[in-house]
Amino acid sequence: MTFDRAPFLFGPALLHWMFVFGSFAGIIFSVTVLIALGVYGASGPTAVMGRVWQGLHDFLGISPRRIWALALLTIKEAVRRKALFVFVVFAALVMFAGWFLESDLRADLQVKNAVSFALTTISWLTLPVVLLLSCWGLPEDIRLRSIHTIVTKPVRRNEIVMGRILGFSVVASLIVSLMGVVGYVWIRRQVPNNAELICRVPVYGELGFLDREGNPTDKGVNTGDIWEFRSYIEGGTKSSAIYKFPIDQVANKIRFESRFEAFRTHKGRIGQSLLVRYVLLNPTKSLRVPLESFEVVEFGLNEKDLDRQVTYFDEEKKTNRTLDLFDDIVDQNKLTIEVQCLDSGQYLGMARPDMFIRMPDRPFVAGYFKAVVGVLLLSIFLITIGVTSSTFVKGPVSILLTFTVLIVGQGFREFMLKLITGEQKGGGPIESWYRLITHMNDTLALPDNFGVKLMQFIDNLFMGGLWLMQHLIPDLSYFVMSPYVANGFDVPWSTALAQCFAMTAGYLVPCLLVGYYSLTLRELEAK
Amino acid sequence: MIEQLTAQQRKVAYLVGIVVLMVPIILLGMPATDEANSGGQLARLRQTHDLGESTLGKVDPTSATMNLVLLGMRGIAVNLLRMELDTQKDRKQWAQMRATTESVILLQPHYIQVWRYLGWNLAYNVSAEWDAVEDRYFWVKEGAKFLMQGAERNRKHPEVYWETGRTLGQKIGRADEWKHFRKFFKIDPDKERYPNGPDSEVNPEGRDNYLVAKKWYQDANDAEERHEQHIMMRALFRSYPARSQLDYAEALQKEGLFDETTRTAWDQAYRDWVEGFGKMIFQEDNPTFEIFLEAYDKDIDQIAETFKVDRAQVDRAIDMHQKVSNYKFWRTKAHAEKQSNTLGVHRELYEAEQLFKKGDLESSQEALESGLKKYELMLENYPDLGMDDNTLEEGLWAVMLWQKIYQLKNQIQPEEFPLKELWEREAGRIPNIQQDFNRRYGPSS
Repeated sequence: MTFDRAPFLFGPALLHWMFVFGSFAGIIFSVTVLIALGVYGASGPTAVMGRVWQGLHDFLGISPRRIWALALLTIKEAVRRKALFVFVVFAALVMFAGWFLESDLRADLQVKNAVSFALTTISWLTLPVVLLLSCWGLPEDIRLRSIHTIVTKPVRRNEIVMGRILGFSVVASLIVSLMGVVGYVWIRRQVPNNAELICRVPVYGELGFLDREGNPTDKGVNTGDIWEFRSYIEGGTKSSAIYKFPIDQVANKIRFESRFEAFRTHKGRIGQSLLVRYVLLNPTKSLRVPLESFEVVEFGLNEKDLDRQVTYFDEEKKTNRTLDLFDDIVDQNKLTIEVQCLDSGQYLGMARPDMFIRMPDRPFVAGYFKAVVGVLLLSIFLITIGVTSSTFVKGPVSILLTFTVLIVGQGFREFMLKLITGEQKGGGPIESWYRLITHMNDTLALPDNFGVKLMQFIDNLFMGGLWLMQHLIPDLSYFVMSPYVANGFDVPWSTALAQCFAMTAGYLVPCLLVGYYSLTLRELEAK
Repeated sequence: MIEQLTAQQRKVAYLVGIVVLMVPIILLGMPATDEANSGGQLARLRQTHDLGESTLGKVDPTSATMNLVLLGMRGIAVNLLRMELDTQKDRKQWAQMRATTESVILLQPHYIQVWRYLGWNLAYNVSAEWDAVEDRYFWVKEGAKFLMQGAERNRKHPEVYWETGRTLGQKIGRADEWKHFRKFFKIDPDKERYPNGPDSEVNPEGRDNYLVAKKWYQDANDAEERHEQHIMMRALFRSYPARSQLDYAEALQKEGLFDETTRTAWDQAYRDWVEGFGKMIFQEDNPTFEIFLEAYDKDIDQIAETFKVDRAQVDRAIDMHQKVSNYKFWRTKAHAEKQSNTLGVHRELYEAEQLFKKGDLESSQEALESGLKKYELMLENYPDLGMDDNTLEEGLWAVMLWQKIYQLKNQIQPEEFPLKELWEREAGRIPNIQQDFNRRYGPSS
């Protein structure tokens, strides 16, 4: 995990959501009106309008008391279905997990394993339970006809959907909270005495590069890595990386942490790592303050404390000078740091999140429970999808649908994007099948004939569907916040939590609408 | 009829059915214990045909469980894991990659190529990605540990034992960082985790890496006696324990140790080579006869007579095996090096270089001239050593050092000097060695 995500902006996100939601609602409404007009003549659109009006009336007149009553029924049902038995499995896992986690690892890796294990276990145990409960609830009620005891009472259909979602969310909250607390105590007991549970709060900056002639450039050199995440600067030249950090408060000391990567073009001195130097810059005053060089610790953290009073050797005046970090060096609320590699012929690689200012740490418990909230939000998201889908399909199909959303959202979005953009060679499903049975490599051109054109036409239809799926199914990897905590970082609000809250809320509204209309229009007599 | 029963009666009937069906299942499928002929019919069949998990090596219960849980989807799971492994490698997520390696092995515990490839990947590829020597050593150890685990679970496969020996011997002993690695093997740089010296997992007794490798090669040979190996010619495969002893003695010399330890190491190497490897029996097919490499005329006659084959055929087979394993050269080398005076020659040249580094040119020159004369004599006594790259390089390097002293003293070197014949004969090798020499001591003016 790189922790290099763009901050979530509520304003533009809300506008985008309104646009997409409005467009979908508009399209569905127009299509419905047209169909109604075709089937029922002039009275059709009126009937549709009546339904819309009824919906508006039902949503404006919802009763929190009735929703809560339905939620309580849902909770009772979940308890009757032995959902809380999941605690037994969790207890067994927690009791014996210590046997299977390696205890001879480095202390920090033990912490990482323990935290990842606790959070992953909570997630893996909770999600299947909420998925099954939410997808089976309504279809079972319809099958057993127990739904009649509810719908015959003065309860609106949207309140049934809301009550279900709320009830299951309460159950999920109970499960996740209890497991979270037990998991936290377990982590505390599991980590070795010499290990520290930390929760860093990083402040990332902007990154730019200078090439070997000292000219600004977007990227450094690629030393042959397939993954172009890091760019490299050449040692012993004018090439360097420029980090610009926002500074909004004065402190007596600033701590920098960095994790750079070394690339050698010659053996150099075996037993010595590459030498790195930070130079503090003030572009307005044309000030360069070189700090003491250090040997890079690769794939680990290089920690550097910078006092407010910085003393350095002024090459021009040949004398030691002392400057105030905030008065003399910070320029327009930005601290600019140039990173240089001092070994000639060797390269140093870095990316934006590879260097950050470490603010005072938060308590570990804060970061940990933020990650637990992530699991809870994902559970609520799945409950929303599960309950909604169960209003228009039967239990097994609903499970399949919700499970697909979970799997695709967590792991296949990148692959889908590659398919849609054509980055993934081999064409659509028909073309892939054709190439497979004819042993045709994906780089070879297809023959130019009618059959191929037809095949590609059908593939394009499939790709259109895939495009829709890619835009409908959200990126659920945002909900997985355990890597932050396991690696000793706080879970940031702007790049993780805010996104998850918005995503859950964003899907809740259309799902309520779909659920309401599906349940309203559905024949509730079991077949 | 079943419909006529009450629910409770039906349940009892099902229970009885389950119990009755369990009897043949137990009789057929009962797992075996350590005792012979234990367990059900299937377990006994597995034992008879050497197919049981326990007969392959140490059983990992997690592995067996994983395979069961996947219900025949193992191939797909392995493919996904291998793709993940590649991504993690590309993204340099080494810790995760190590964990994925473990997962792959859980699903393919008896696929030898997987152990070999992934072990190599950790010890050679991943270690090279790190900058600090300590980190590189850590990953070489990870590779070795992984292979050890593989050997433990696959006792039928000599290849994994051999691969472990190669990693501990050649990777540690011949990498660019060999000086550091060999020290780390005895005193691990991670003092916090290994305060007593070596990493007990790879070197429990704190021995030299080549000696530990020798033990693994020996284990490979033991396994090879029962199960065929498929990576190289048999004579070559079986030479490795003795070769490792030779490497050990050579490494001691390279590190500047010229005392009785080194002489004893060479002596042991000679015995391992001649009495151990040289007396090993190799079988020839079509016609079938047995040979060994330390064979003289009378032995060849005896083999020909015993197996009723043509003497020339036996002679040719022995010659072929000797050439493949470079048998005669190593025998001569070990014989020469175990002599105290040979060791003295190496010591003199080594000490001369140390004196040169200290700037004592006079003493260095004196030691070099004496050493070079003895070196010349050594080559006369053991002409086969003239084929050895290391021996030749040592001699030519000493001559360069001697020439350098003259150059530094602004004197003209004499026309005649010891090893002149070798210097002229091996002129083709000089540019490369000179390049290394210049890099260390500066170019000739």
